[in-house]
Formats: sequence, C-alpha cells, structure tokens
Amino acid sequence: MSALNDGSSPPQSPVTIEQRASRCFDDLFESIIVDMASECHRIARLGLDRNLEEEEEELRLSAQARMENLGSSSEYNSKNVADIFGQTHPAIPSETFDCMNCGRPVTAGRFAPHLEKCMGKGRKARPKITRSTTIARNRHARGSPVTVFAPYSTTPNNNIIPDDTPRTGGEELANYTFEKP
Amino acid sequence: MENFAHVDELNLVLQLIESGEKEKLMELLRERLIECGWRDEMRALCRAYAKKKGRNNVTVDDLVHVITPKGREKSCISVTSNFAISTSASSVPDSVKAELLLRIQSFLKSVPLDAL
Repeated sequence: MSALNDGSSPPQSPVTIEQRASRCFDDLFESIIVDMASECHRIARLGLDRNLEEEEEELRLSAQARMENLGSSSEYNSKNVADIFGQTHPAIPSETFDCMNCGRPVTAGRFAPHLEKCMGKGRKARPKITRSTTIARNRHARGSPVTVFAPYSTTPNNNIIPDDTPRTGGEELANYTFEKP
Repeated sequence: MENFAHVDELNLVLQLIESGEKEKLMELLRERLIECGWRDEMRALCRAYAKKKGRNNVTVDDLVHVITPKGREKSCISVTSNFAISTSASSVPDSVKAELLLRIQSFLKSVPLDAL
C-alpha cells in the first residue's frame, strides 16, 4: 500500500503538488456542488420556496383568467367582473346628462346611438331638418353659386319633413337669408 | 505509473479524512462561498431553472449541471489560467480558490505521503 515509487524521485512527482491540490479542490468543490444541487432540488420539489410558488400561482391564475376571458367577455368589456378595486359596474351605465349637441337629457349607455341620430352620422340617421339645410339643398339642386356650409350629407329630400322632436339649430350656416316657403 | 497515482490519491484522501483536514477544508470552502455570495447566485440559478422547467420536472442531475461551471473539466494548475477558462456564471471567485489551493498545498507538503 505504501509502495509509491522508487526512492530516487521525490514523492510528489510526476504529479506536481499544484495538480494534486487542484484535483483535491475540485473534489471538494464537486461535493459542495452536489450538496447545493440536492438542497435546491429538495426546495423546488417540496415547494418550500415561497417566491417560486407565488409566481407559479400568479402565472396559473393569469393564464386561467385569460382562458375565461377568451370564452366570454374581453378585458375591456369587464361585465360583472370585479376590477382591481373590487367594484363591479353594471353592463350599461345609467348615468344621465345632457347632450351637448341637442341639449336633451341622455342616458350614458345610450349616448352613442343618440349621437348617431343627433349628429346624423351613422346609418338610419335622419339629418336634422332645419330651414337652413333645406334651403341649402334646394339651392344646390338649382346650381346656384352659394357658399353654403351644410354639414349633412345630401339626401334627395327637398321637403321639410316635420319631425316631432323639437330641435334647436345647432349648425353653423353661411350668411344668407331665406324666405319661408 | 497510473496505479501509483491512484494509490497516491487514495492515501491523500485517507489522510485528509483521518486528520480531519478534509472536513476543515470543506467547512472553509463552504464558508467562503457563502461569504462571497456564490451560494445565493447558485440558488437563484436553480430557482430560475426550476421555474422554467417546472417545479416537479427538475432532477438533481439537472441542477448539478446548472451549477457546475463549464470550465471545470479544463481547470488546470494555476489560478490565473483557471480564471481564463471558467467564465461561466458559476465560477468561483479566484480569491476563494486561491486560498483553498494554498491550504491544500501546505497540507500536502506538511504530510509525507509515503509514510503510511
């Protein structure tokens, strides 16, 4: 067991001290690495790492929420879903205020359709028939060079259509006078 | 020659263990690694790896590979060349390695290995 080599060469060659020390160090280091690895493995498997768990949970929850959102409402819709402050809002907002175009009280949830009709932009919207627009259309039809600012799209509707809703003239018009037909 | 080297190593190991030097060296190395933050770095690496791979899919082997510095196999004699080779995240600080190497070398020198 003690027969290393012949007595002439120094005991530590051919392998130098540094090499052996290095190897020794590597062994020590490897043991420590294995220790660390098994410790981390244990922590991971047993779920002892609080942060890891929380993050995983959060990831799972957000993935879940995303799946649910795909099925029903989207993020922006948020019907009957408590937001981060814990408030739930009704699907259709019910606050009332006055339309700045026509001045009528309007429910917030119905504001967009109201505006469609009110400003005459969307489909099925009747343009607001006032005397000015009628005159403008008539004048245009006759081809008279009148600068008219008539914001509404031209419909071949030269009659004054009586509508039951009282309207205040909300449009700007060019300066001309008219005669009541 | 190979056999002698093995016997040499065996002797060395035995001596280390018997004299309690191995334990002391381990303790010293552990302490230094904690002090310099190496242990926390490795923990973070393992955590990140576990998160990526899934907590229950991790094996000890995986983590060993995560922690082991890439240049370890090529680690050679001097400290300076070690610094050049092991550039992965888990390389041990040179000072720590140097200290340990010195300690081991002095132990090797102090104990005549053929006297067993």
